[in-house]
Amino acid sequence: MHSFDPVNFRGQFAFFQHNPGWVYLDNAATMHKPNVVVDAMAMFYQRHNSNVHRGAHTLSQHATRAFEQARDDIAAFINASAREQIIFCSGATAALNQIAFGLMHTVLKAGDRVLITALEHHANIVPWQIHCSKYGVILDIVPLTADYKVDQQAFTELLALKPKVVSFSHISNVLGHIQPVTQMVSQAKAAGALTVIDGAQGIVHDKVDVQSLDPDFYVWSGHKLYGPTGIGVLYGKTAALELLTPLFGGGEMISEVNFSHSLFNILPFRLEAGTPDIAGAIGLAAACNWLQSINNEQMKSYKSMLLKQFFAGLNKIDGLDILSSPVHNAGIVALNVQGEHPADVAELLNQQTVAVRGGQHCAMPFFSLLGLAGAVRFSFAPYNTEADVATSLHALTQAVEILTA
Amino acid sequence: MTLDQLLADTKPALSQIYAEDLPELTQAKDWQSKYRILMQLGRKLPPIPEKMKQPSLLVKGCESRAWLMHYYNQHQDQHFFVLDSEARIVKGLMAIMLSLVNGMSNTELKKFELAQAFDKLNLKPYLSQSRGSGLNAMMARIKDCCH
Ligand SMILES: Cc1ncc(COP(=O)(O)O)c(C=O)c1O
Repeated sequence: MHSFDPVNFRGQFAFFQHNPGWVYLDNAATMHKPNVVVDAMAMFYQRHNSNVHRGAHTLSQHATRAFEQARDDIAAFINASAREQIIFCSGATAALNQIAFGLMHTVLKAGDRVLITALEHHANIVPWQIHCSKYGVILDIVPLTADYKVDQQAFTELLALKPKVVSFSHISNVLGHIQPVTQMVSQAKAAGALTVIDGAQGIVHDKVDVQSLDPDFYVWSGHKLYGPTGIGVLYGKTAALELLTPLFGGGEMISEVNFSHSLFNILPFRLEAGTPDIAGAIGLAAACNWLQSINNEQMKSYKSMLLKQFFAGLNKIDGLDILSSPVHNAGIVALNVQGEHPADVAELLNQQTVAVRGGQHCAMPFFSLLGLAGAVRFSFAPYNTEADVATSLHALTQAVEILTA
Repeated sequence: MTLDQLLADTKPALSQIYAEDLPELTQAKDWQSKYRILMQLGRKLPPIPEKMKQPSLLVKGCESRAWLMHYYNQHQDQHFFVLDSEARIVKGLMAIMLSLVNGMSNTELKKFELAQAFDKLNLKPYLSQSRGSGLNAMMARIKDCCH
């Protein structure tokens, strides 16, 4: 394993050479891709492109081997106990839709309950709403505490209603708060529920070991983990995956088809209808392998050093409402300039080539609860620099000055 | 407050924006001055009172919420509008847009091209993509008022 060197790390992203003027602090929306990822995908297209699991020809066998190797690498990355527990899909949204749809009838029946939290991304709310309302399943929401953490007391109380499924994010995409997932998983399991973790923001921060964390499902999007867009992972324990009714039917996912019925293929293929994103899977595996080779603890402490500097700088700017807490924070700061709309603040930062997101971050219920129009979100990654922190603080000071002049 | 009053207050504000603020904006040297002007300009449009902001007036497709009210003077074939936005920069840009189209005839409004008009005023570079789309949503809504 290599030790983490910030300069060397940043040097591996061609994006920054092409965009030297920009301070990119929108990492929670999507991350940049290291050259190893781009190269792995280019290499596949230029030298090995063929469809997988199909042709008898040798080229297809090579492509299949590369694709299935990607599955092995990703299984190793999260320490899954079997390769077929890695289902490729288009991202966290697709995975959560597959899970919500797939558990109806097999696990969830009219009158049953599903539990989510008030801090979820729309991707972990809307699929449940769609399917729960259709099948008469009750959706309960864990409220938040005054400092915007999931209310653990209320969580315990709602578990007493015996939900069949509990689904929550590992790390909040709005605030960056790291949830006490280990404890929540074990409590939910003790209450007899299946557990789903939306790891879209979590996977890039913590080293995830699905066997020790032990959820039934853990899902994420490749593009938020230095990988390409269009690919994501639905991890599930084998028994849990067997409970899922496939959301998509088509090629690859069947073992026998005639016009009266079809027999489904075995895992993982049963849940991967159609031609998969082969290059995407290879790119994501390249990202995982590359990350495995870098000391994650050092990377994390570098990011938390940047975050600490940023928070210290914010304290010197008057007129801010800071929503995120600096403790148990994965590198995301949501804030507002008092009395100003987040879109205005984000635009003034954009004028100063600081890329942040202003708005509701796909978490409208959370912001309605707070009575806010949204927030400006600064999200950090290990390729950010101390200069990025200084520049963004300066830009924010300028924005406040212009807005309050 | 009634729609008539709002229309009456908006009209002179728009004339002033067109005559005074627009030239100032196109001559401003740095982005700070431009945005200061934009925000002041938004402030010149009378706000739509909260009570009048019916859900049907909400213009979707903007990151911030915006509202549009319309009146068509049939005798003189003129379209008049009142608008508001919760974001100040957006409101400033919308005010400029409105200063260009308020009072247009049905045919004129139908033919109006926002991108061209903003290009002529050298304003396009100051519109980011997302802001552009909020403006476009408002423009589309204004055009929907044509018959
Ligand atoms: C916590 C969380 N869940 C789910 C998603 C959805 O991810 P995607 O749009 O890549 O499917 C996101 C992305 O913003 C997220 O932050």
